[in-house]
Amino acid sequence: MSEVQRRKYSQEEKTAIFDGEFMPHIDSMYNFAFRLTFDEDDAKDLVQDTYMKAFRFINSFEQGTNAKAWLFRILKNSFINEYRKKSKQPAKVDYQEVETFYNSDDVDYQSTTDLRAESVKDMLGDEISNALNALAVDFRTVIILADLEGFTYEEMAKILDIPIGTVRSRLHRARNLLKDQLKEYAQSMGYNTDEEEED
Amino acid sequence: MEINDQASGERKLQCDDVSKCFQLLESILDGELGDSGKEVLKDKLAKCQPCFEHFHLEQAIRDVLKTKCTKQPVPTELADSIRQMIQESK
Repeated sequence: MSEVQRRKYSQEEKTAIFDGEFMPHIDSMYNFAFRLTFDEDDAKDLVQDTYMKAFRFINSFEQGTNAKAWLFRILKNSFINEYRKKSKQPAKVDYQEVETFYNSDDVDYQSTTDLRAESVKDMLGDEISNALNALAVDFRTVIILADLEGFTYEEMAKILDIPIGTVRSRLHRARNLLKDQLKEYAQSMGYNTDEEEED
Repeated sequence: MEINDQASGERKLQCDDVSKCFQLLESILDGELGDSGKEVLKDKLAKCQPCFEHFHLEQAIRDVLKTKCTKQPVPTELADSIRQMIQESK
């Protein structure tokens, strides 16, 4: 299969791959871009840029491999290299900072929250979305990739260029931060976060 | 802290190795362990209250993220403008 990577596709093959394997992901791509930039125009530009690059480098896409993961990787890199610099809402946490301070694979898996599964289930879509959007971009990203888009740890490792152990630990931290957000909501809405229910 | 045998139902109220168990449960929920995770999971949930609670909270969070997050409609002209840009670049 390694031969395939090096061969050049014909114009017809390129069009077939582009229409058949790349374009069907436009919905997920746009939503990922919007959740990164929080801006419709920036999201559009980012998706356009990504598809332009995908077409330009189509010969390095190996047919039969995961087109969606390949496209997400390009989009993520474009975001880091171009959009983050001029973004209207600069990221609260810099990628470098995260790499340096949060990349230890040793995570303390302690039970830190008294948030209840029942109150989570009662929450509205907007509350969930707002909690997710409040996370720093690196944590937001892993949750989008894992929970909204269903990527595996291995695919995420490739998309983000980080080891699988780091995917696991960053995802764990991200969900803990999300729980903190949800807990605040739960409390402000008067949902029950304590052990008040009789079993 | 000694072993706590005061179970709710038959579950123990303290987990002997929270860190290891929770990491395992989260990997199972993320679909990383395949079928081999199922037996371990059944056992943990039946015997350990903290594991039981953690599993259900983590599962609820994954469920609401998957099903309730508001989706942004893709601008109708986006696909066409991409095709046009590709056409022009050829």
